[in-house]
Amino acid sequence: MLSGIVFAIGLVGVTTSRHVIKVLLSLELLLAASNLSFVAFSKFNGDYAGQLIVFFVILVAAAEVAIGLAIIVLMYRQLSTIQADALKEMKW
Amino acid sequence: MSLFFFYFFAAILIAACLSVVLARHPLYNVLSLVVAIFALSCLFVLLEAYFVGMVLLLVYAGAVLVFFLFVVMCLNLNALPLMQPAQKQLQWFGALGGLMFAGTFLLAMKSFLAARAMGPSSIRGTIEAVGKILFTNYLLPFELTSLLLLVAVFGIVSLAQGALSTGKER
Repeated sequence: MLSGIVFAIGLVGVTTSRHVIKVLLSLELLLAASNLSFVAFSKFNGDYAGQLIVFFVILVAAAEVAIGLAIIVLMYRQLSTIQADALKEMKW
Repeated sequence: MSLFFFYFFAAILIAACLSVVLARHPLYNVLSLVVAIFALSCLFVLLEAYFVGMVLLLVYAGAVLVFFLFVVMCLNLNALPLMQPAQKQLQWFGALGGLMFAGTFLLAMKSFLAARAMGPSSIRGTIEAVGKILFTNYLLPFELTSLLLLVAVFGIVSLAQGALSTGKER
């Protein structure tokens, strides 16, 4: 239930915020919520697989954050803003 | 006692998550995410998933969020107006988010009741237990994640090189 609440907060953050860094942080919240759910059900089912999946999710999230922040830095250099609205066109 | 700690850290987690989404300054967003990750890690320890809790604390609070903080400070962002006039599409997305909120809440409620019926088991996520299963049953995914990290490193290097070749130092 707690993970549902965290997931919902993160979802609202992803869909409504205009600020790219905030979108990325909310994405982290979504992953954290799913992690919490995985660990809780691993505990209740007596299965270690849930904890391993959390381990992999953390790795994937680290890679995703690194790429996302690199893209944000590039975007700031090109457009000198990080509002999501500034990305009107996908041409370089 | 452990129930008290659960509610304590759960309250911290929810407050920090709200602060991540609602706070105005990006720096406060990042710092409240640090608090959220710390509370989450404490919850993991309460669930006896010691290894995963420690990894979360080290990788997230230690590396990822410092990276976030570095970028926020490097770009020198000042507080942005939170409530600009939203576009029509964005309002639709907000409504969709609200609907999904209701849906996930119902599902979580249901699964919570099911989990309560099951009752906790007696597994302990120590390094020994998790490591044993990681290197036997889940060896292939483990190796594939190393490949994923390698690809991520290549991606970042190529992005940074693109920035360099346009004549701007990183």
